[in-house]
Amino acid sequence: MQVSSKTERGRPLVVVRGEIDHGNSSDLQAEIDKYMQGGETTLLLDLTDVTYIDSGGVSVLLSTVRKLREHGWLGAIRPNADVRRLIEIVGLKADNGFRIFEDLDSVDTPADKAAVAEPATNSGAETTDP
Amino acid sequence: MSLTGQSRCRRLTVSPEPARLTDIRRFVEDVGREIGLDDERVFDLKVAVSEACANAVEHSGGHHHPLEVCARLHDDRLVLEISDGGDFRVPGARRCSRRDDRGLGLPLMVALMDEVRIAKVRGGGTTVHLSLYL
Repeated sequence: MQVSSKTERGRPLVVVRGEIDHGNSSDLQAEIDKYMQGGETTLLLDLTDVTYIDSGGVSVLLSTVRKLREHGWLGAIRPNADVRRLIEIVGLKADNGFRIFEDLDSVDTPADKAAVAEPATNSGAETTDP
Repeated sequence: MSLTGQSRCRRLTVSPEPARLTDIRRFVEDVGREIGLDDERVFDLKVAVSEACANAVEHSGGHHHPLEVCARLHDDRLVLEISDGGDFRVPGARRCSRRDDRGLGLPLMVALMDEVRIAKVRGGGTTVHLSLYL
């Protein structure tokens, strides 16, 4: 697993690649904790290149959501189908403190629309208010 | 097929260390591919076996009984048996539990597999049997 982080559009973005398991999840936790200790209320986690996750990684997501839930949220960018399935099984997908985004651009759409629990909609389907 | 039959199994023996979980997953992936499981089931199997092994690693208690993973193919199912020299424990009930979410392993095994059986071995140790119906 490789973890790096940067600030993206004013929000911390932690980018993870590879496999998150019991042997390395504490590295991810440490990276996230750096921001949590800085008082961040929202955090983005790019999971695009995460190929595997088990309860070692899921427990990091759960504890982060628990800490952020009251004032903010944790946003997962583009988890693959397997990772998404695990997220669903543990009940994270329905959690107020957790959001899934198809890409970084959709993070900036209004929060109530961006909190995607639905399959990806195609970009041409956006509605315009009168 | 090489995995068929009660007495035939493909076996991997490793020391009970978190760093070996990667090797265990590669082993499980090879077994899954060999019998033609689809990607989703291979992933499920990797997670379930990892959870069983992580539990064994965490509760090896400083003993260095090897961790053994054995794959058996039956007519109707693939069974992965994870054996170790320690006792199966309920995470979180343990003094050195580090986080609040340690108890996810067993529920995940149950959610992802078709059958989960945990047996104490006479004389010490635990075997977790994870079955996937074919």
